[in-house]
Amino acid sequence: MHVDLVGLGAAVLIAGLVARAGRRVGLPTVPCYMVIGILLGPGTPGPTLIEHPEDLAMLAALGLILLLFHLGVEFPVEQVLGSGRRLFIAAGCYIAMNVSAGLALGFALGWGTSEALVIGGALGISSSAIATKLLIELHRLTNAETPVVLGIIVIEDIFLAFYLALLSPVLSDSDSAAEILRDLAVSFGFLLLLFAVARYGARLVGALVGTREDELLAVLVIGLVVLVAGVSEEVGVSDAIGALLIGLVVSRTAVRERVERLVLPLRDVFAAVFFVSFGLSIDVGDLGSVAVPVAVAVCLTLIANVAGGVVAARLFGFNQRGAANIGLTILGRGEFSLILATLALGAGLDARIGPFVALYVLVLAILSPLLAANSHYLARIMPDALLRPGWRYVREETISTSCTHLDQIKITTTDVDVCPACVADGEQWVELRLCVTCGNVGCCDDSPARHASAHAAGTGHPIMQSLEDGEDWRWCFVDETLVRAPAGTPVEAGEK
Amino acid sequence: MGQGVHVQELPGIGKRYDIDLGRADQRVSVVVRSGGVRDLYVFTSTSADPTAVIELSEEQARKVGAVLSATFFEA
Repeated sequence: MHVDLVGLGAAVLIAGLVARAGRRVGLPTVPCYMVIGILLGPGTPGPTLIEHPEDLAMLAALGLILLLFHLGVEFPVEQVLGSGRRLFIAAGCYIAMNVSAGLALGFALGWGTSEALVIGGALGISSSAIATKLLIELHRLTNAETPVVLGIIVIEDIFLAFYLALLSPVLSDSDSAAEILRDLAVSFGFLLLLFAVARYGARLVGALVGTREDELLAVLVIGLVVLVAGVSEEVGVSDAIGALLIGLVVSRTAVRERVERLVLPLRDVFAAVFFVSFGLSIDVGDLGSVAVPVAVAVCLTLIANVAGGVVAARLFGFNQRGAANIGLTILGRGEFSLILATLALGAGLDARIGPFVALYVLVLAILSPLLAANSHYLARIMPDALLRPGWRYVREETISTSCTHLDQIKITTTDVDVCPACVADGEQWVELRLCVTCGNVGCCDDSPARHASAHAAGTGHPIMQSLEDGEDWRWCFVDETLVRAPAGTPVEAGEK
Repeated sequence: MGQGVHVQELPGIGKRYDIDLGRADQRVSVVVRSGGVRDLYVFTSTSADPTAVIELSEEQARKVGAVLSATFFEA
């Protein structure tokens, strides 16, 4: 057997060094790995480190499997199910808009139906890794929209599982409609079987791989994962989805946290090989020929993302800044797009998908950190009509949930439609504010008497909300911040 | 959680603890990532954007925590 250790070692080392340099300027790692693959591969003039990309096929396959397995293991099922209807609607709209934009482009390109389905997924599903790292780096973990952003990417991960199942008959070489239907039934049946195992058989699986020794746990788990992925491939479901589902199964066992910790470094290394290996398969000369479709795809994704951000912001009552932050943070595309492209190329679909997705991921990788960091410019020009008109004074402000007085929200509605103190004094008022602690109604700070502020100062009641039609913001006098209830709890939870 | 500490789940990252210090211009939030790293968000103005964010490893966080809680004393 031919083993090209020098080529592999050098490629991975260089990819790691370049990714480290990229991280300094805020670039995500995945495209860095891919670029090194493109530059050092046989398809590009200049030095070629790896003559035969197929030598890496086994390691790259392992990378793909571990990426999806780890995703399954750390999948926060309870948190997603408990996150409420609004989040599902927001994520559903985001996914629907992005995937349909991708599908429309895919069909418009005329490369074929299967190709269009792959492009729909590659354009529609954003990279959880890129979005999560952006939130940490931009110091946005205390922002009100951050739990929504994280919730959307988690729901996108579920969607990915179903999309992979839907795609598997397309990616297998079935010709007739009956064959496609049979394949679809097999792949969804296999999905259901693994879901059932996740639900009822987790204890058995835990007993199979469970051991107190980390060494043996790692060996047993990797063996199980690769076996399940291989069997999935055999029955016509992709190895990717098998790996994802066995991850879900393992996540229900007692060894979950140890497996997560043990598999993480393995995943990072082999995933890097997978991304480099994807780059190797790209001929740099082909990138030019897909430049126009990629430019269109990037524009479509930008529009769909901002629209998705606006929908989410409307649902959760965020201002323009929140909408811009949501749309631009989940703009990055990465691992999932490359996985879909790899599956498509493996199934022998149109070879242009490779360079198309590579260039698309690369452009968005550079754009998304830049745009996300400068989201306030978008917030400035976003029309009020898209969101709630009550935010016009605070469109660029970050909204925080770090107000610690949310437990004092007790009263959120009232029948009072006058400022009683002003009525008593025979004064006029401009707008009305409700104290959510005791239900007192007072006039705003634009009114001469400023009874709402006076009430807060006198009683120490922290939060007031606007009683004007169409406005639904709250202000904490103590924290001097705009307040939203955290995602996951309904707005009226405190109502008594 | 205890009085004045608000907990927020951050799926895929970890948990955030917002600590009420009773003042608008002094707020602290701590994000405990599932990997063990802590992000310490410090707000010294009433703005919703943090003044400083410090990333602490588990070991560093323990050290800071011990000094803050005065369990660490050495001449």
